[in-house]
Amino acid sequence: MLAQLQTSGAVHWLGRQLFNREDPAAFFDPLLERIDPLLTRQTIRARVISVTDETPDTKTFVLEPAGRWQGFRAGQHIALTLEINGVRRTRTFSLSGTPAQWRQNGTIAVTVKRIQGGQVTGWMHECLEPGATLSVSDAFGDFDIPDVAEPAIYIVGGSGITPVLSHLETMAADGYRAPVTLLYYVRTHQDIIARDRLEALAQHWPALALKIFTTEEAGSDQRLNDHQLNQVPGLNARRCFLCGPEGLMDLAGDLLHRRNIPEDRIHCTRFSAPTVELDGDNLGGQVQFAKSGKQTESLGDASILDIAEASGLSPKHGCRMGICHQCSCRKTSGTVVNRLTGKTSGQGEETIQLCVSVPAGAVSIDL
Amino acid sequence: MKTLNESQLNELQQDLDQIRDQVIADLGERDANYIGKVVRLHRSLEVGGRVMMPFGFIPPVFLAATTALGLSKIIENMEIGHNVMHGQYDWMNDPSLNSQTYEWDTACGGDSWRRTHNYEHHTYTNIIGKDRDYGYALLRLSEDDKWRPAHLLQFANYVLLSVFFQWGVGLHELEFERLRNREITLKEKTPFLKEFFRKGGRQAFKDYVFFPLVTLPVAPVVLAGNISANLMRNLWSSTVIFCGHFTQDAETFSEEECEGESKGHWYLRQLTGSSNFTGSRWVHLLSGHLSYQIEHHIFPDLPAHRYPEISEQVQAVCRKYGIHYNTGSFARQYGTVLKRIAGFSLPDRLRTRLLPEFNNAVA
Repeated sequence: MLAQLQTSGAVHWLGRQLFNREDPAAFFDPLLERIDPLLTRQTIRARVISVTDETPDTKTFVLEPAGRWQGFRAGQHIALTLEINGVRRTRTFSLSGTPAQWRQNGTIAVTVKRIQGGQVTGWMHECLEPGATLSVSDAFGDFDIPDVAEPAIYIVGGSGITPVLSHLETMAADGYRAPVTLLYYVRTHQDIIARDRLEALAQHWPALALKIFTTEEAGSDQRLNDHQLNQVPGLNARRCFLCGPEGLMDLAGDLLHRRNIPEDRIHCTRFSAPTVELDGDNLGGQVQFAKSGKQTESLGDASILDIAEASGLSPKHGCRMGICHQCSCRKTSGTVVNRLTGKTSGQGEETIQLCVSVPAGAVSIDL
Repeated sequence: MKTLNESQLNELQQDLDQIRDQVIADLGERDANYIGKVVRLHRSLEVGGRVMMPFGFIPPVFLAATTALGLSKIIENMEIGHNVMHGQYDWMNDPSLNSQTYEWDTACGGDSWRRTHNYEHHTYTNIIGKDRDYGYALLRLSEDDKWRPAHLLQFANYVLLSVFFQWGVGLHELEFERLRNREITLKEKTPFLKEFFRKGGRQAFKDYVFFPLVTLPVAPVVLAGNISANLMRNLWSSTVIFCGHFTQDAETFSEEECEGESKGHWYLRQLTGSSNFTGSRWVHLLSGHLSYQIEHHIFPDLPAHRYPEISEQVQAVCRKYGIHYNTGSFARQYGTVLKRIAGFSLPDRLRTRLLPEFNNAVA
């Protein structure tokens, strides 16, 4: 191990000397890409193997990542980077396939709902076809299956089913020995994602109780309610997994708290980054971009990344939701509030994520 | 400098901003494909040159290897490095083409270049005393510098600067003239010098130590080829760059006339202080499109391969305001640069008689 580390250190040193870059192998990427995109070193590429329709606005993309991709645990996400009209855009998706599937045939899957007006999901639905390649990040996230089997309930809405599919299929394959209930909320029957897979699971895995509710179908408004929860045997002893749109998550969290289910037994995963309600009074102020000499006034309603872009700057960025840290940048003075955590930063010089930072008073950014 | 009144300057700004906005709205796959193609061309030439070089004991191979390596350095420095570091491709969000992190294949460190070139030169273009690129504090190119006998030798200095151009550019931020006048101390320049030795060391190591050593039996051939490739790049890039601002009709400015200037005035200064030269598609590629220096100076962060497309529009704007669009053949423009260097090496009395065309170079 040590020997290997030393060599790679020497290789990196030599790479910097010869190619002026941290990863010398990436120098050859533009050529390797032409031979086979999966050979590139700077990012791990994946090839689209197939695209299948799940519902009218949801598709599953099966991807085959390059051999050095590290794998994942059920419930984790990846960031995909796609080149759309010359611009690289990065978004996070949860993996809907299972780790077993990846180990067996080297493929992973993401199930993507087309977001109204979404730049990336819209493009994926219209233009991403088998044979195309995109970049994948390492898997991340800790929406994990319990280490030891215990009763569980899943409260899921819409495309929130994707990481849960991965959970359930993995649990079924491993012979999970405790009762599992899935309450799945969709607008109409048409919107059920992976219906066949869910029904097959329920059939072959007796531990699973599958309940699908439609919330907008004529004559039935089956929103999550106490009555539905009362039907779940031994609810208070169950581990709770929530995944889906903001409204459903808040409602479910509320109902579960009222039943005194402790916080540490409720696990959430979300698609959009949760945003904290910020106290508008203390927000906003003068934003100074020191390197470019630009200065502008913020009302506290936009992230520093948005403000910088509106000022004609183009800072490096990625996910725009606080995940990838591509936009991390030095703040030289002033305080900012993190939109995800609601936390206020220190006064002095520190690294902040531009995309989730809102100025609280005058700030100066090294941009 | 051509003088325009306040409202004309505002209108000039609007006209040029409009050209800029059009291009920005149209940026996309075409530009990404273009720079991708140029990057692949660079990689192929460099790999080809390095691989062929050890076989350079066969004369035609030596010529091919040296040319390939020299062209690769030219393309990397001019069309890729210079333009990427101006932020022309930042919108692609590709970390390997990011203006703040790009590091190019020359002795000058990227950070130093961003400070001296992107900031100083592009902000204070041709303002005597503020734009240190005007004559590189080494050459007397206008009457604003008082003539001294040492200037008689400046043609030799010019040749030396061109031969060792990458080192001259690398050391530009040292501000040797201010060190000599004791305006600053060497200690203040220590951080820069560290950066310079690290980057310059890498470049020297690569071309003059590493590649010759790994091809040991033919080390002298490889060394000679690498020196020639660097020389080829140095001579070409210095020539292109000198043609950008030192031609006969390129104007210079005083600090006073630019104090608190408007954006329109800044545009006007860029238009009249820069000069283009004409040529084939290849000439433009190899010069990093600095053959369109005027377009580059008004829009330094637009992808350079767009300059030929917008040149007609820029010329129309120049005609509208009666601004001289300074262009000509490469030979013609370069000829006037040489004349300027030679002319201003002479005492003013002699120069005004021998080269009267430079008498009113400074407005």
